[in-house]
Amino acid sequence: MRTTRAVEGWTLVPLERFIMESGARLALLMTPAGQVLAQHGFTRAVDVMSAAALGAAIVSSTGEIAKMMDEPEFRALNHQGVEHGIFLAGFETLRGRLLALVVYGTDSSMGLVELFFQTLKAELVAACPVEERREPVLAADFEHELNASLGSLFGR
Amino acid sequence: MTTRFRLALDSITRVRGVHGALLVAGDDGLIIAEALMEKVNGKAVAALAASLAKRLRRSMEACKAGAPHFMHLQAQDGTLVVVPAPDGVLVVTVGDARMNVGLVRLEMLRAAEALA
Amino acid sequence: MSLVNFTTREITCKIVYYGPGRSGKTTNLQYIYGRVPEGRRGRMVSLATKTDRTLFFDFLPLELGQISGFTTRFQLYTVPGQVYYNATRKLVLQGADGVVFVADSQARQLDENIESLQNLQINLLDNGMDVRDLPVVYQYNKQDLPQDLILSKRELDDALNFRQRPSFQADALSGSGVFETLKGVSELVLRRLSEVSTA
Repeated sequence: MRTTRAVEGWTLVPLERFIMESGARLALLMTPAGQVLAQHGFTRAVDVMSAAALGAAIVSSTGEIAKMMDEPEFRALNHQGVEHGIFLAGFETLRGRLLALVVYGTDSSMGLVELFFQTLKAELVAACPVEERREPVLAADFEHELNASLGSLFGR
Repeated sequence: MTTRFRLALDSITRVRGVHGALLVAGDDGLIIAEALMEKVNGKAVAALAASLAKRLRRSMEACKAGAPHFMHLQAQDGTLVVVPAPDGVLVVTVGDARMNVGLVRLEMLRAAEALA
Repeated sequence: MSLVNFTTREITCKIVYYGPGRSGKTTNLQYIYGRVPEGRRGRMVSLATKTDRTLFFDFLPLELGQISGFTTRFQLYTVPGQVYYNATRKLVLQGADGVVFVADSQARQLDENIESLQNLQINLLDNGMDVRDLPVVYQYNKQDLPQDLILSKRELDDALNFRQRPSFQADALSGSGVFETLKGVSELVLRRLSEVSTA
């Protein structure tokens, strides 16, 4: 089963290559607000959202610390555990700033992830298309379905 | 870079054909100390050599051969040599294809001992 | 801006519950968490102090289900209400698709409500967002308290809701009004996806 998925198609190939080369176990590409553009290795969508929310929060809060230190930004953040490490880094694209959250195990390393992240970053920056005008996504009469969805969610 | 690390690396880089030597954190693949020619991408060498050393160690252990003391990869245009030092540190040397591997090995083992 | 995946037909929206300290933002999420079946929600993440005051945010991902052929997910966030956590509030507001302003209906809390609302507008501006363009609904919480202690919906609308956005009375502890509030903000947020927009 393919475990790499992308909301934005242009992110898929660079992310797959990064996973293969770095040996990372889980990865997310997201906006600074925690919206996921691509993911690898997660099974439940809701888990992805939690990881993204927390990852984006770490980057945001340490970004504020950087400002207090008159540092433009922290290039990357690493959290080292016993079995797993977390790598977090941001970069600029035509679509604005994106963040990467990478979880790696003992079969990879901080050095490998950092090394191949540079390639990932360059490939994503090169592949990023300019944002397009969007057509309506939902039908005008979506309320009925929304009400039914919320009703079933709350057992009503 | 501390004097101890610099001395350890200097003795390796004095050998003819050596392009650079590094002390690398084996688990992280990050550089602890380096003495490299400009053309050598230290970060990449450190990360990839550490990954390689980790896999080779596992392979050796799977063969019931114990942990490796010395890893030597020879390619058409260059040589990579890795010696594990105490505390998970790796001594890594890159050089050209004609590098005197015997002498480099001796200096790397000395460097590893000096780090103990 | 809501994230839309046309390939896998998925929509993800970020909704932030904003308001003064102890107005009941976390209680809203806890109630929703308790009511929604496990398969349709993720773990509720609470970055709180030892005394259970929100330190950074609470977070609850929800699977709404299919809407117009799109699997629709909501990310519900709360912000810390206490005045000195403003930097954190600003961070959580980034990229919000909609806001629920949870006001404390107690008459003595009116100044805190107004201050928090002003703070919301400032933080939105700091994030390059205009409150006039953002889907916002109001929830007047703690309406279960004795009538002599609280302000009515009309009084609170007059004091806080001068743009005539949807507003809901609630008692988040018992769950009254929580569903209606979520429904209200959901409609506003998704309405924008049914209109032509520049991304």
